[in-house]
Amino acid sequence: MIDPSVVRPEIALDDFLPIFVSSALVLVFGGFYVGIYTAVKVNILKKWTMPFAYLFWMLTAYCLYTMGSLMHVGDFTAKALVIAAIGLLLLPHAVYYMQDRVHKENEH
Amino acid sequence: MASNHLTGIGRESKQLATWYFTFAAILFGAQLLFGLVAAIQYVMPAFLFEVLDFSVARMLHINALVVWMVFAMFGAVYWLLPDETGIETVGIKIGKLLFWVFAAAIVVVVLVYLFIQVGPADEMSIWFIHEGREYIEAPRWADFGIVVVALGFVANLFLTGIKGKQTGIVTVLMADMIAFSGLYLCGMFFTDNISMDQYWWWWVIHLWVEATWEVYVGALAAYGLITMLGAHRKVVEMWLWIEVTMLFGSGILGLGHHYFWIGTPEYWWEIGALFSALEPLPLVAMFIHVLYDWGKTQGEQDAQGKEVSVIRNKPAFTWFVLNAFGNFLGAGIWGFFHTLPQVNLYTHGTQFTSAHGHLAFYGAYATILVGMMYIAIQGTNGIKVMNHTKSSIWAVSLLTGGMMGMTVALTIAGYVQVLVSRAQMGATWAAYFDGQSGIWFAQAMDWRLIMGVVMFAGFALLAKDFLTTGKAPVHQR
Repeated sequence: MIDPSVVRPEIALDDFLPIFVSSALVLVFGGFYVGIYTAVKVNILKKWTMPFAYLFWMLTAYCLYTMGSLMHVGDFTAKALVIAAIGLLLLPHAVYYMQDRVHKENEH
Repeated sequence: MASNHLTGIGRESKQLATWYFTFAAILFGAQLLFGLVAAIQYVMPAFLFEVLDFSVARMLHINALVVWMVFAMFGAVYWLLPDETGIETVGIKIGKLLFWVFAAAIVVVVLVYLFIQVGPADEMSIWFIHEGREYIEAPRWADFGIVVVALGFVANLFLTGIKGKQTGIVTVLMADMIAFSGLYLCGMFFTDNISMDQYWWWWVIHLWVEATWEVYVGALAAYGLITMLGAHRKVVEMWLWIEVTMLFGSGILGLGHHYFWIGTPEYWWEIGALFSALEPLPLVAMFIHVLYDWGKTQGEQDAQGKEVSVIRNKPAFTWFVLNAFGNFLGAGIWGFFHTLPQVNLYTHGTQFTSAHGHLAFYGAYATILVGMMYIAIQGTNGIKVMNHTKSSIWAVSLLTGGMMGMTVALTIAGYVQVLVSRAQMGATWAAYFDGQSGIWFAQAMDWRLIMGVVMFAGFALLAKDFLTTGKAPVHQR
């Protein structure tokens, strides 16, 4: 039996697995979000699949929240995670907009 | 890699590139071999005891990793430089001479690692045996040799870039390679204070692999997309500049996640947390890059009613696509889930780090460099459209499957260490041993060894394919 006094108090033992899984899912779902968004824009996927892209972004944000909560991150890190989530939301829009502009200028 | 079809502008530079690639491939094999020895020693600690101890096998494993990648990186630059600038590499004869200097120095260093191994704790060992710093353990005499070779390489690149056509890819490489070479200087001096010493050592390791090497990969991906798919240069290069901005923007100060526990001020917690949280974004962006250009170029082809693939080198393209995924998985996912200080407190120095390191180096760098080797094989053999052979398919499957299996095994081992050694037992001396004596850890190490053998089999097939695919009848000439 392990002496409870040596158990580190910061993160509960049962929380480690959810932390690792949720932080992995942040990028898995984030990858699905940008992947579906880009695939729809370049006509690899049909347009009706676009809502699924945003659904995956919401799952990404939820996983970030879960991860941050279980880790007991401080105010500063919490803000950093919010910035990262918003950055991920905007990233494919900004990139696709610029890519498409350059593509059109290149073609015409 | 025969160079019988190399003609016209850039012949000399491309020939030099094939030398670099060949030496890199040999070192890649050596890296896997010594990795296998170290993996066996985890399972059977007496294996080669006092002949080739774990510390030496590991040193050879990780130093061979860095050196083969540097060789392949130099080779890739010498390969693409004439294509991008439209001229032969300026000062190519010096470049060729420096290749032999570099290769000879590495052979001597490896022989010293193998047969001398360790020396007394004095300056002589630092100058002539090794410096005892992970990843960049070359003795000081070799350090100076590497600096000379790197200066020659940068001179080749700059003189050619200035004289020839200045594309975005070459411009990025010029800026990136001078930073890449210059950062090596930060690992060449010692201070008595271990915190300060580690502080500067991380400038080499982190600012290489999470900044300059990633930017380099972005430039190679751009060249590959233009070469293999015929993607529009303006689109690809605009994208490259975005990647450079994002990679340097997040990667440079992402350095903070190495400063959590080495005695540096606490403000590195905030800096490390913020920029580490942002570091996956450019990796996601690089993933879109490949998808976007592939989709657009294939779509244009399909719109013209041509039902053929736009890919001109399928083995290389497979490795480039693996790079996009592997970078995202290894550097992104496996990096992100232990990058914040709150959880890194528990994962630091466990097999989690090892899992991340293995998949990140393989996914982010090995894949694209092997892809570049296939581009060189296509060029040297005068192949118009290069297809897969059975060996190339088996090689990529076994290498990648083995690496994924190894990563999962190491992750399980790391998880055991986090729970037992750190969370339950508070990172004590006894906890370290208890964490490693459990059945889960032991079985994970068994699986890591099995997956290492799978990888080595994949490498054998890759080497066979490198040597034979040039003459295979499956390609269009």
